[in-house]
Amino acid sequence: MSKKVLWLIIIFTILFIIGVNAGELGYLINLGNTVCLSCIGVG
Amino acid sequence: MTRLRSLIQTLMALGTNAYLLFPFGGSVIYQGPLKAMCHPGLNCYSCPGALLSCPVGAFQNFMASLRFSTGGFPLTGAIVVGYLGFIGTAVGRLTCGWVCPFGFIQDLIHKIPTPKFSLWKPLRWVKYAVLGLMVVVMPVFFVDASGLGHPWFCKIICPAGTLEGAFPLLLLKPSLWDTVGLFFWNKLAVLILILVAAILISRFFCRVICPLGAFYSLFSRISLVQLEYIEGNCVECGACVRKCPTGVVPNQEFDSRECIMCLKCVDACHFRALDFSMRRPPGKPAKVKRVTPSL
Repeated sequence: MSKKVLWLIIIFTILFIIGVNAGELGYLINLGNTVCLSCIGVG
Repeated sequence: MTRLRSLIQTLMALGTNAYLLFPFGGSVIYQGPLKAMCHPGLNCYSCPGALLSCPVGAFQNFMASLRFSTGGFPLTGAIVVGYLGFIGTAVGRLTCGWVCPFGFIQDLIHKIPTPKFSLWKPLRWVKYAVLGLMVVVMPVFFVDASGLGHPWFCKIICPAGTLEGAFPLLLLKPSLWDTVGLFFWNKLAVLILILVAAILISRFFCRVICPLGAFYSLFSRISLVQLEYIEGNCVECGACVRKCPTGVVPNQEFDSRECIMCLKCVDACHFRALDFSMRRPPGKPAKVKRVTPSL
């Protein structure tokens, strides 16, 4: 594994953790639990 | 390998759209904790059967509501970028070839017997513009009167949303027909165009439009796994080129951003000039193994 890949994996893991701690999991659940009107083209 | 890939594609498409209670009352879409996780491929989360969220739709919504973040750390979509970046770094576009439900649909409809065409190669750059403009820039800056952005890719283009979300929902909830307007008919036209194009041109959407494929392709040259070319074994018969669904020339375009690692070329090569392996450190060449062709 090259250093570049290792750094990328570390950076993306940190980003993921930042997202979790910022409360983005809850936002994702709320988002997924409502019908996305834009997705189906009626919004 | 082709059968294994088809099996995994089928299992992934069905397994991640396995909410079967929607016709029996209650919620019309799955509402549960699994929606906290994004699908690694393009799969509309408004599909009644969808268990996971759509990464492209979720990220656009993060961008669209960026200016409404109040107090604490802003919701920037870091969770989605981290998740997708991790997958991209690990396996690159393998996800497109093996896991993505919309890619699977394109594989299936391309089997319809019609004349087939190759893609005009410059069109491959369009997906990067779609990723940058419609997924990142427009949701942040193109806002309505209340200052709220919109998921413009979902709203204008996304064929997965129309096929997997709109049709089943309009069928299940006829009252939605009252709200159908210009955006729906636009999306329907786009869906028809993309499906026709995918019948004629292999993986048309993945190669030209898909922002998720564009994101994963950024990691094609560094991902942990790679399609390895063993030069000493190649007799330049062209069998790999004829089988490639994304128009890559495997013995010339190493680590191509278009390669979805479907491994059709590995199957097609009777001289074992192509192999799927962990990426070698720079400067360490692949071992040449002379083989008797198994024709």
